[in-house]
Amino acid sequence: MRHNFIDRYSALDSPLHVLEARTKILAFTGLIVAVLCIPVHSGVLFFVYFFATAILMGISQVPLGYIVGRTLFILPFIVLASLAVPWHGLTEIGVLFIRAVLCLMLLILLTNTTRFIELMRGLRKFGFPQILVMNLSFLYRYLFVLTEEAMRMKQARDCRRVARAPFRKELRILSSMLGTLLIRSFERAERMHSAMLSRGYSGDFPVVSPRRFSWHDLAFLCGVAVFITLTFWLRKT
Amino acid sequence: MKRPFHAGEVVRTMTDYVVRITRLSYTYPDGTKALEGIDLDVPVGERIAIVGPSGAGKSTLLLHLNGILTGTGSVKIMGSNLEQSNLQEIRKQVGLLFQDPNDQLFCPTVFEDVAFGPLNLSVPAAEIPRRVEKALNDAGLDQSIRSRSSHHLSLGERRRVSLAAVLAMEPAILGMDEPTSNLDPRNRRHLIEVVSGLKATLIIATHDLELVLDVCSRTVLMDQGKIWADGRARDMLANAELMEKHGLEVPLSLRSGVRSN
Repeated sequence: MRHNFIDRYSALDSPLHVLEARTKILAFTGLIVAVLCIPVHSGVLFFVYFFATAILMGISQVPLGYIVGRTLFILPFIVLASLAVPWHGLTEIGVLFIRAVLCLMLLILLTNTTRFIELMRGLRKFGFPQILVMNLSFLYRYLFVLTEEAMRMKQARDCRRVARAPFRKELRILSSMLGTLLIRSFERAERMHSAMLSRGYSGDFPVVSPRRFSWHDLAFLCGVAVFITLTFWLRKT
Repeated sequence: MKRPFHAGEVVRTMTDYVVRITRLSYTYPDGTKALEGIDLDVPVGERIAIVGPSGAGKSTLLLHLNGILTGTGSVKIMGSNLEQSNLQEIRKQVGLLFQDPNDQLFCPTVFEDVAFGPLNLSVPAAEIPRRVEKALNDAGLDQSIRSRSSHHLSLGERRRVSLAAVLAMEPAILGMDEPTSNLDPRNRRHLIEVVSGLKATLIIATHDLELVLDVCSRTVLMDQGKIWADGRARDMLANAELMEKHGLEVPLSLRSGVRSN
């Protein structure tokens, strides 16, 4: 079975990919915060940031179709969210929508220019709690195992039923399937822990990374910082 | 810890026992008696098979080799009693290969998984790539596999990556739980070849009796948490009465009228 990763294109070798994880986390967080800070009535700034994101996309060599596809996939949720806020007029809703799309594109770009393990390592170096980072990387690894297990269970269920049962009974079957899945995951977690202990695990999750902080990183960070300052300063004057 | 281990101590004399288990018993928290009075001595370099029906306690016994489980009785590894204080040292010496590679491969890529053990042993970062390379080689894998994700690998590859992950720690003793289960004939053959080439002392829990004949000189028969027989693999597996009594059968190649070469 082939899986679609959140970091599908992270193994490319573009100028963005070779940067260190921390650089990208900082720069993209900066850009996202800046996007969130753009005042409602400065439409030009939104265009400037869209343009900047487009340039980054171009540099990253991540296919445009992929980024757009991913964004479209999450779009319904954004629409729902923007409907949920109190009504202030069409402009506000539109701005909220544009902001969300911009942030999403930046995030997709970040996860597709940085390998997941390096992203985790970057977070770790920024002082993120070890336990959180570890759980995220396990989630990344075991999501697929869990999905496959659920699919096998679904197949087994479908093989043994001839017709759809009454709704309440269907619900009962579903809940017992979920329960089984939970217990199986729990048992797997225990076996995993044994396997980790067997290989000398003692509470610290070590990783090696080939990337080092270089002058490329410094240049990129400075560039992003100058860009953000400039956009906001130009708007004021 | 009473005294430090040294890798060089592994090969002192042929009469040295790397594993000495005396009167080991273990009861699971739910009351199931898994092991009852197990005695087992394993000399250095020996390849020993543990056979027996499902639920005989084979896997449980393996988990005692490095203190994942601790029962009553004593387990001595390389002359040292297994205790809470020297667990890390023991785990350097005893590698365990689990039955389901999905339990053993928890990192995003093969490289990280194989490097996990050595990094925990504080092997210098500069030496890690070399260790990984050697472990992959020893496990019969191509180097190109290192950047792949384990959920994209076939079961056979995953099993061998798990083996590489254990070999990377350079253990003196290697315990394996059903290493050939669910493999297709080609992958099974490949794995047997790889295992035959290993230098570590091997303790293999398995139902695959042809694997036992190929790899192991000695066999221990377990059933209901006890050891019922301990001897030369070929003799024991040919004993039809004993095999059938404990839910096993004489392997095809040892049956009269069938010649194997």
